[in-house]
Amino acid sequence: MKVQIEALTRVEGEGSLEVFLRDGKPESLRLSIYEPPRFIEGILKGKPYQVIPDITARICGICPVAYQMSGVQAIEDAFCVKIPEDIEEIRRLMYFGEWVQSHALHVFFLHLPDFFNVPSIIELSKIDKGLVLAGMEIKRAGSLIIQTLGGRTSHPVSVVPGGFSALPESLSELKETLEKALEKALWTVEKLKALNFPDFELKEVLFVSLIEEDYPILKGDIYLEGVRVSPKEFKSVFVEFEVPYSTAKHAMTKDGRVYLVGPIARFNNAFEKLSPLAIETAHKLSLEPMVKNPHKGILVRIVEIVHALERSIRIVKDYKKPQKSKVEVVPKSSTGYGVSEAPRGILWHSYSFDSEGRILSADIVPPTSQNQRAIELSLWELIKDRENLKEDWLRDHAEPVIRSFDPCISCATHFLKVSLKDAKKFTLA
Amino acid sequence: MRVGVFKFSSCDGCQLAFFELEEELLRLSEKVQIQYFLEASSKNTWDYFDLVFVEGSVSTPEEEERIKKIRESSRFLVAIGACAVSGGIQSARNFEDFSEIYFSVYSGRYEVNPLSKPLSDFVKVDLEIRGCPINKEALREVLIALLQGKSPQLPSYPVCLECKRKGNPCVVVAKGLICLGPITVAGCGALCPTFERGCYGCYGPVEKPNLQALLEGYSRLRVSQDLLKELLRISFNGYNKSIREWL
Ligand code: SF4
Ligand code: SF4
Ligand code: SF4
Repeated sequence: MKVQIEALTRVEGEGSLEVFLRDGKPESLRLSIYEPPRFIEGILKGKPYQVIPDITARICGICPVAYQMSGVQAIEDAFCVKIPEDIEEIRRLMYFGEWVQSHALHVFFLHLPDFFNVPSIIELSKIDKGLVLAGMEIKRAGSLIIQTLGGRTSHPVSVVPGGFSALPESLSELKETLEKALEKALWTVEKLKALNFPDFELKEVLFVSLIEEDYPILKGDIYLEGVRVSPKEFKSVFVEFEVPYSTAKHAMTKDGRVYLVGPIARFNNAFEKLSPLAIETAHKLSLEPMVKNPHKGILVRIVEIVHALERSIRIVKDYKKPQKSKVEVVPKSSTGYGVSEAPRGILWHSYSFDSEGRILSADIVPPTSQNQRAIELSLWELIKDRENLKEDWLRDHAEPVIRSFDPCISCATHFLKVSLKDAKKFTLA
Repeated sequence: MRVGVFKFSSCDGCQLAFFELEEELLRLSEKVQIQYFLEASSKNTWDYFDLVFVEGSVSTPEEEERIKKIRESSRFLVAIGACAVSGGIQSARNFEDFSEIYFSVYSGRYEVNPLSKPLSDFVKVDLEIRGCPINKEALREVLIALLQGKSPQLPSYPVCLECKRKGNPCVVVAKGLICLGPITVAGCGALCPTFERGCYGCYGPVEKPNLQALLEGYSRLRVSQDLLKELLRISFNGYNKSIREWL
């Protein structure tokens, strides 16, 4: 027998959760993603390298900047292009804009309604309009950064291999908006402090994030349990594989361990590198490494929002338009790797090019693929001892767990369905 | 007014325009009932809609069925974004060998159509909002006009006009870049030329794009027919009904 939720909601993308029962007891479950694949990697083949930032951005409307940044850095790695500090700083600023926008969307629009037992932000606004408006203001500040640097809030147009196609003369008009948003974010912290969290811990999960001098975002090696792995070595430590019930691939470490990427992993691995106000915020929320309760992702996201805003204000204050908005890129036959911290965790790209810079092969590993196992594991903890599992219960309890991970199914290929199936009919491939 | 928002093969980028309406969304929600919008709400009902917005292209047998079902239950259907209007970037595969593309990403077993197609290949579409992604101004115009029972005013002229209005130097003349602005419908505010690059066509073709004239214009820049075709195929709108034959 199986129990099924027809459609997962308030997540980005389409998927389902099925729970298989034997004699009324849960035997296994699967988070399946039935979002149709869009074959972006296949489409890239044979195309000139310049199309990478524009095309890969369209994998995800929520984190296009992440795709653009990992993408251009992979190109630059292949063609041995060194990017000047000042251009990297602007890349960081744009990326912070995406963190703020994406985290605010998740915290206020998608996740927060769960804590108030309402179906949507529209209903939430009837209970606490101030909180909703604050969330919108924060999100708008993130969007404004991206729009100023790239023309629009989703799929910005200025990111090119080597830097930016053009850059603004000044960013001073951003300052006030960012400062106000930071104030609002700190104000919401007082409210989020009062939220109640289900008792729940991720066990046996590795936390994986990048390591940079600052709190990781743009680049760096991959860090797990004290070990550093270069972007090039990614595939020798992690494996991505297909599962029969999902159009999104799954990932594990080569030695079969489940790992988690994203805000909680970054927080656990790089807490001390957060901005001063972000650390203060974490203290206020009684948050310190190791955070193991995925529901508390919402708190870590607000900490990261504070961090991103504080850092952005600094970059904006120091901004002087670089002499050149981009450096020269000369293609050659080679392979390159690019990895960065998307709002949802590490996003890895690799490309091989011919001597003219045409793409011979493309390989992209998005954060949600990497987190699927950890989500399944958490769901299993939730249901494993329950008898008499019912669809309503599953929807009320399992959906919030899934949501707390902020899965982006569009990335992994989006929409969750939940079902309980006859164990005998189900075989794990 | 009962409204639904649906998603097909896409990146979710166009739905985000609803969230970008922010406070207006809250105000609108007093006048319209959003009955179905999976990304925004965990309470969804699907019976009858006065107005639906559909994001994404049709690329599986299930999606073919679902778009027909949506059409049957809706009075007015709006296709939002390049995926829904033209098939999206995923339709670049329509011009290539599907099996090769398929197996370069997956090893097999999913039910996916070889072609990614626009909604209008399957059902009657009442209105298109262009862009990859659409912008919130266009969405607001459509929502408000339809609420008031008027017809929405969206541009049908090319990007070049917006570009000139903004006083941008033409990147074709000034930098020798290829720009799809002359055949692409306006609405973005000539973003790419403003950022000193050529338009890559994300708002899709104007009603009767003169591709031959564009090619002749570009032959002076030594742009071959093959190159122009390649650019149009990856213009996010290559499978649009008004250009697919030419490609
Ligand atoms: S049209 Fe572009 S932005 Fe909209 S859903 Fe498709 S890929 Fe995303
Ligand atoms: S830059 Fe492009 S859009 Fe602008 S006028 Fe020239 S051809 Fe037209
Ligand atoms: S200029 Fe062209 S490619 Fe750029 S945003 Fe506008 S329509 Fe899209």
